[in-house]
Order: sequence, then C-alpha cells, then structure tokens
Amino acid sequence: MSAGHVLVIEDDQWFLSLVKKTLERNEFIVATAGNIIEGMAEINKGVPDVIILDFFMPGPNALVLLHELQSYGDTAEVPVVLCTNNASDIPRDAISAYGVVSILDKTTMHPEDIAAAVRRAI
Amino acid sequence: MEGLRQQTNRLEGVVPTAPSFVAAAHELKSPLALVRQLALHLESGEVSSSELQEVAHRITLTSERALRLTTDITKSSRLEDSLFSLEPLNPIVLCQEVVDEMRPLYAAHGRTIVLTSRARSLLALANRDLLRRILLNFVDNALHYSDEGPVTITASLRDGGSYIRLSVRDYGPALPSTMRKNVGQKSVGMHSRPESSGLGIYIARQFANAMQATIGATSHHDGATFYVDIGTSSQLRLL
Repeated sequence: MSAGHVLVIEDDQWFLSLVKKTLERNEFIVATAGNIIEGMAEINKGVPDVIILDFFMPGPNALVLLHELQSYGDTAEVPVVLCTNNASDIPRDAISAYGVVSILDKTTMHPEDIAAAVRRAI
Repeated sequence: MEGLRQQTNRLEGVVPTAPSFVAAAHELKSPLALVRQLALHLESGEVSSSELQEVAHRITLTSERALRLTTDITKSSRLEDSLFSLEPLNPIVLCQEVVDEMRPLYAAHGRTIVLTSRARSLLALANRDLLRRILLNFVDNALHYSDEGPVTITASLRDGGSYIRLSVRDYGPALPSTMRKNVGQKSVGMHSRPESSGLGIYIARQFANAMQATIGATSHHDGATFYVDIGTSSQLRLL
C-alpha cells in the first residue's frame, strides 16, 4: 500500500529525479511534470494527494496553477508544498490562502525534508 | 493575491541595470542548490555504483555552469577598462567549438545541439573570446529554458554580406514582446524566461557592445531565437 500520490512539478530534470527517488523510497507514488501546463494535464488524469511545486518555471509560474487549483471544488483542497530557490522572498501569509501548506528552500533543505513535508501535508 | 503577484513581479524583475551582486547571487542559486542536492544524494549512501558516476558527472557539469557565469560576471565588470582586439575569424569554426564544448551538458540532459551554416565562406571581425562567451550564454539559456527538441546554431550572411548573424534557436516558451524589444537595448526588464534574472543576456549584450556587435531575439510560437550580429572582415570582401 502506498503512502499517497504525489505530483512533482519542477523544470530542472535532475532536481526532479532526485525528488522522485526520495519520495519513492518513502513509498509514495510519484507523477512528474516539467512545467505548469504538463502539471495541469497530470492533475486532469487524477487529483494527487499532495503537489510539490517549484515557483518559477518556463511558461506560467506557480501562481497560475495555484489560482487554477482554487477554481475547482475537487482541487481546491489539495495541499501544495512550494519548493523553490526563492523561499525567503515568498510572502507566506499571502500564499497560505492558496493551499500552500509549507515552503521548502532548495538552497538549505535536506532531501528527506521533502518526504517529511508531504507526510505532514497528508 | 495582488500582494503576492507584486512580490512575484519583484522577484521576476530582479534584473538590475548593471550586473549587481543581487542578480549574480540570484542567478547562481540554481546551479549551487542543485550541486548541493546532488552531493547530499551521494552522502546518503543510497546510490548504486552505476548511479554514482552519473551523479558525479552531473555535479561536474552543474558546477561548470556556475563557473561559466562567474567568469562572465568578472569579465563583464572589467569591460570598460579593457580594449578588446578584433580579429578575422571563421565563425563556423567558433560555433563548432561551442557545440563541442556544450555537447556533454546537452547529452547529460538527453538533448542535442547541432550546427548549421547557410554560407560557405564566412569571415567575421570579432573578439574570439567575447563572441564565444555570447554563444555559450545563448546555448546555456536554450538548454535550461526550453522544453525539448534540438537546439540549433546557425551562421548566415545578412544584408548582402555586410554582416554575419549567429543565431541559437530553441523550442520552449515564447518570449514576451517586451523581452524581444529590450534584449538589445540598454534598459533592462528582459528576463527572457521567467526563472531567469536576465543577467546572462545583460552580460552578452555588454560583450557584444564591446566589439561593435549587436544581439537580439525573435519569438516563435514554439520557442525563441537569440542572435548576435557581427561585422564581416574586409578580407572577405576582397575575395
């Protein structure tokens, strides 16, 4: 039995593969997307338990997806973990209203912090 | 949401009017954070012997990317104090050197980079090191900010042979119209790709100015072309 379904949206392929490995080692089932558009397509296939989301990516940024998630009843409650190089610049109060339950700083986090954040979110 | 959007715009607009410490730090965060995560992965001891070499290779390539940027920044800061000699050079040979240098990085990402030429004999008047750095910058951007598909460097004669255009075509998000207008200008706000501070383009433009060349960008529905226009050598016109 899996620990939950996680969608990781991250444009850096190498970072994405590290996150995927960590989550799979923690028995999560992981879907991945390289940008927001691909992420939306993955969500259309099946709503995940948690979304790990980079902030700035080629094409639309995270705000577009956060807004989109809030627009539908079946996605508004999906917890989102932001994982970004700019964590210290993200206004936590403003973003928590959009389903963001935690913000991880890529520059300081430990790989296992991802799994811990997902467990907390679920 | 408005406050958040303003904060995002501020982050996206981190590009300065000069290559400030803030912009440099912002641009270096990505590769350094990735190197750290890859190293932590190695430290975890949960890396198979077959994966070990791959992770080490990724650390090498990512740190080289960061080093390219730091070299560009230091060189850029000294531009005004330096004179750059222009020499006749074959841009196809230079482009091939860039392709050869970047091929391992592209291969590691499962991508390809190719060189095409629309002219047989080209002889440009340029500074070899600055032109190489401009092309490396374009090629590096194309890899990290485009989705998939090959990246193509093309050399072509323009305007009846009065100048040579070296262009780097990628397949990714289209450029905002403001970006196309600003890429060759002194004003900034030209973060071509959302997560980029635009520092690389700023530096490329400085390098181009230092050797009387110009850079620009063209948006396509499925990507972008960044180019540098350089003068032809009079030796070519004598041929």
